[in-house]
Amino acid sequence: MTQTTPRQPAPALHVVQVTVNGEPRDAAVPARTLLSDFLRDTLGLTGTHVGCGHGTCGACTVLLDGVAVRSCLLFAVQTDGCSITTIEGISPDGTLTPVQQAFQDNHGMQCGFCTPGFVCSLTALLAEDPAPTDQRLTETLDGHLCRCTGYQNIVKAARQAAGREALS
Amino acid sequence: MSTPTAARPKYVGGAVKRREDPRLLLGRGRYVADIALAGTVHMAVVRSPHAHARITGIDASRALATPGVLTVLTWPDISAEVGPIPCIDAYPDSLPALQTALADGVVRYVGQPVAVLVATTEYGAEDALALVDVTYELLTPVVTMDDALAGETLLHPELGTNVVTTIAQDVGDVDAAFAAADRVYEETFEIHRYAPMPMETRGVVAEVDPISERLTLTTSTQFPHLVRGFLSGCLGIPESRIRVVAPDVGGGFGAKCEFYCEELLAPLLALRLRRPVRWIEDRREHLVASTHAREQRHTVRVAVLEDGTVTAVDARSWTSSGAAYSTLTTTPASISSAMLRGPYRIPHYRARAHCVLTNKTPLAVYRGAGHPQAVLVMERMMDVIAADLGRDRVALRLQNSLTPAELPSDRGTAIVLAGPVVYDTGDYGFCLTRAAEMIGLDEDWPAQQAAARAEGRYLGIGLANLVEETSIGPYESSVVRVDGSGAVTVLTGSSPHGQGHVTTFSQLVADELEIDIERITVLYGDTDVVTDGVGTFASRSAAIGGAAARKAAGVVKDKAMAVAAHVLEIDVADLEWRDGAAHVRGLPARSLSLGELAQASTAWNAPLPGGMSFNLEGTYQHQAAGIAFSNATHAAKLAVDVQTGEVEILDYVVVHDCGTVINPTIVEGQVHGGVAQGIGGTFMEDLPYDADGRPLARTLQDYTTPTASDMPWIRTDHMESPTPLNPYGMKGAGEGGATGAPGALVNALQDALSVFGVHLTVDGPWTPDRVLDLVPEDLPWA
Ligand code: FES
Ligand code: FES
Repeated sequence: MTQTTPRQPAPALHVVQVTVNGEPRDAAVPARTLLSDFLRDTLGLTGTHVGCGHGTCGACTVLLDGVAVRSCLLFAVQTDGCSITTIEGISPDGTLTPVQQAFQDNHGMQCGFCTPGFVCSLTALLAEDPAPTDQRLTETLDGHLCRCTGYQNIVKAARQAAGREALS
Repeated sequence: MSTPTAARPKYVGGAVKRREDPRLLLGRGRYVADIALAGTVHMAVVRSPHAHARITGIDASRALATPGVLTVLTWPDISAEVGPIPCIDAYPDSLPALQTALADGVVRYVGQPVAVLVATTEYGAEDALALVDVTYELLTPVVTMDDALAGETLLHPELGTNVVTTIAQDVGDVDAAFAAADRVYEETFEIHRYAPMPMETRGVVAEVDPISERLTLTTSTQFPHLVRGFLSGCLGIPESRIRVVAPDVGGGFGAKCEFYCEELLAPLLALRLRRPVRWIEDRREHLVASTHAREQRHTVRVAVLEDGTVTAVDARSWTSSGAAYSTLTTTPASISSAMLRGPYRIPHYRARAHCVLTNKTPLAVYRGAGHPQAVLVMERMMDVIAADLGRDRVALRLQNSLTPAELPSDRGTAIVLAGPVVYDTGDYGFCLTRAAEMIGLDEDWPAQQAAARAEGRYLGIGLANLVEETSIGPYESSVVRVDGSGAVTVLTGSSPHGQGHVTTFSQLVADELEIDIERITVLYGDTDVVTDGVGTFASRSAAIGGAAARKAAGVVKDKAMAVAAHVLEIDVADLEWRDGAAHVRGLPARSLSLGELAQASTAWNAPLPGGMSFNLEGTYQHQAAGIAFSNATHAAKLAVDVQTGEVEILDYVVVHDCGTVINPTIVEGQVHGGVAQGIGGTFMEDLPYDADGRPLARTLQDYTTPTASDMPWIRTDHMESPTPLNPYGMKGAGEGGATGAPGALVNALQDALSVFGVHLTVDGPWTPDRVLDLVPEDLPWA
C-alpha cells in the first residue's frame, strides 16, 4: 500500500508581482504553482498552452525578461519581479507581427496548439539576432514539437520572418 | 443594386490563406483547458499500475478525509447507472469485450481507470490520487501476440479465447491460383505499436446548464455529434437533454475519434454534484489512457507467374487490440484486410484478420487506420518479388497495377462501417512513374549506389503505392443562412481539429453564391448550433461535408431566385444569378442582391408565394454514394551511416491524387503532416512494454516524435481524377501522408542495406541501434 505524507490542508500563499504584457499583475499563490498554471488559471491568459508539462514540447513557451522559457518548468514565485510576455502580448495592437504573419502566409499551422510556442521563441530569437544563421533557426525550431504540419511550412514561415530566402 | 463585373475569380482550387489563423496566432483560441466556469471542480482518475490484476480492495477513506476532496467513486458506485463504453465497429460475430467506465473488479492494462475523485482544486485532486488505497492480486499478463494466441491466460475467461473478432475477405479462387503459380513467396511482417499523440491531450468540462437543466459536455473530440449519442446511450438520458461542444481541438489524428471513460465520468459527476466538472488529461496519462495504434502481425503468401503477374494473395493478420474494445476497434484490421492489394489487380485474394486481446491500452484508429500496415506489407512484397525475379521494381508494379481503363473496379472486399471496396477513379501508373522519375530512380541508380558505397555512404530509394478509402459516409449535413446584410452563415456537422474547415467551406460557398469570402462565417462543433452531423475522420470532411455545404448554398441560391422573381414580378427563367445577386436577363442593372433578397424573405415583408418558407436559408444532407478512393505514390531516398546507424532522409516525393482540390496549400499541409507521422513511426516512435506489461514510454522524452530537423524537404506533385461519387469530384486528402510513408521508408532502408543481405520484415522503429544491428560487425570501414 502506498505511503504518503499527509497533505498540508492550506498551503501558504506567496505574493507574486510581475509585469505581464506590459501590465503590472500580482496574485498570491501556493509556492508550487507552475508559471504556466499561474498565467493560464490565475491570470486567465490561456494563449499559453501546455502540451506535455515536462519541458519537451515547447508549447508553453513565454518570454521572461525577453528570453524564451518553458513556463511549465518554472514556478510562478521564481518570476517575482520579472517582466513576462505571453502570446497575447506579442502583438501590442492585435495586428499580426511579421512572425505571426509569416505563419499565416506559409500555412505554418493547422490546429494551432503548438503555434504560440513557436511564435514566442522565434520572436525572442529575432529580437536578439535579426539575421540568424540557418543553424540558429534550426536550433530554435527544434525546441518545439508540432504534430500537425510536418514542420516544412513552419520552416518556411521562420525563414520569411528572418528575411532568409525561401527553400524549394 | 450591383453592376455586372468581369467573371469573378473562383476560390475553389486557389491557395486561399487560412481564415482561422489570425485568431489562433494572437493567442485567442479556445481549447477545452481554456474554459473556466464559475464553481468548477476538478476530476482526477485513479489508474491501474498493473497490466492484469484482480482488485481486492479500494479504500478511499484517506482521500475523503482530505479537505477539498468532494467525492470518490468506484465501479460499484456507478454500475447501476452507466452502460459500457460502446464499440461501433464490432462484427455480428465479434465476441463481447466491452470496457466499463471504471474497472469492474479486474484491471486489464496499466492506465485503466479504477476510481475517480473530485476536489475543489486541480492540484488537490492530483494529490488525493495517492490517498486512494487500492490493493490488487496480480494475474499473469498477456503482453505479446504469442502470449495472447497461446491462450494460456485469457483476458476475458468467459469468452474462452483472446481472439475476439475474425474478419474474412474472399475474392476469386485462391487455392487454384496457388496451384497454378510458378513461384510462391511467404513472409511474416511485424508492425509495432505507436500512437497519434496530438499536441493537445484530451480534456472535458461537464456541467448541467442552469437554465435548461440539460447536460453540456465540452470535450476535445473529432465527432461531437457521435459523442452526444454515446453519452445518451451510456447514461440513459435522451439526446435532446444533452449538448456536446467541441471547441478548438489541438489535433486528433484518430485519438479523439473515440468515446472515452472520462467523457462519461465527468458528466455523471456533474449531474451528481451539480457543479461544473473539469478534467484535463496530462501527457503521462495520455500515453496510457488514450488509444494506441498500428500494432499488427501479417503473414502473407503470394502467388506469382514467371512473367511477374501476381495472381493471388493469401493473408492473415493479427491486431493487438489491447485490453478491450475501443469505439473503433476492428477498423484497422478491417481496412488492412480489405485494402492489402492496393492498386494491384491480384484477382484472387483471401484474408483472415483477427483482433486479439492483450493487456495493453486499447488500440484504435490513427491516421490511415489499417492502410499504412497494408501498404507496408504489399510494397515490401513487391520489392521481394522484383528482387527474386530480377525485375525492375517500377516495371513490376506497373505491370500489376490497375489502369484507368479498368476502373471502376469492384475489389470484392468490404470495409466495416464504410461498405464495399469499389475503386472509382485514378491513374496509379502515372503517379508511380512520376514519383520514380522525381526521386531519380532510373537505370543509373545502382551505379550511383555503388559509387556512394565506395565512399562509405549507403544510399537507398524506396517506393510505396497506395490506394486508400476516403470520404466515407453515411452523410454530412449543412445549413446555409443569409441575413439582411448579406452576411452568410454556414453550419457544418463536420467538426475540425486543424483541417481548415473555415477556409475550405467558405471557398465552396463563396463560389456557389459568387460572393466575397469575407462575408461568410462557418460554425461547427456545437450540437446545439449544428444539430445534425457526423464528424471529422476517414478523410471525409472536405469531400462529404464540403459537398453538403455547397449544395446547401445552392438551395439558398434557388430560393433567392424564386424570391427575386416574386419581388420583380417576372418569371424566374428571366433571371440569372451572377456576382451574389439575381439579375434580370437583358437588363443587367436590374438586380437584387443576396442581402436584399434575404430582407424580402423575412416575416416583416409580404408573405412569399406558394407557401414558401420565410427567411433565406437552405439545408442539405449530402449522402455518400460510395467510398471515394484517393491514391498516391511515395518515394523516399535516404542515406545510412553504417558507423552510427543514423539514417538521413535525403529526398522525399509524394505524387498524389485526391480528386478535385479545394485548397492546394491545405492539401499539401495534410501531406506534410502525415509524412512526418510516418517518419516518426518508422524511425523514432514506439510504445514498448516490459515482460510484466508495464509501458516504458511515459513522457515525450521517451516517446520521441520528429522535430523540424528530422524532416526532409517534401516535394509534392499531384494529379486530379475527380470522382463521380461526389457532385464536385472531391476525394479525401487527410491520411495519405501517413499511409504511404512507412512502406516507402522501409523499402528505402532495405535498398540501402541489401548489400549486407538484410531482409526487412519489421516496420521499425529503426532507431540507430537497431539499424546498426543490420550492419555486419566486420565491415571494413571505407
Ligand atoms: S508544456 Fe512546457 S514544454 Fe511542453
Ligand atoms: S499545428 Fe497542431 S501541433 Fe502544430
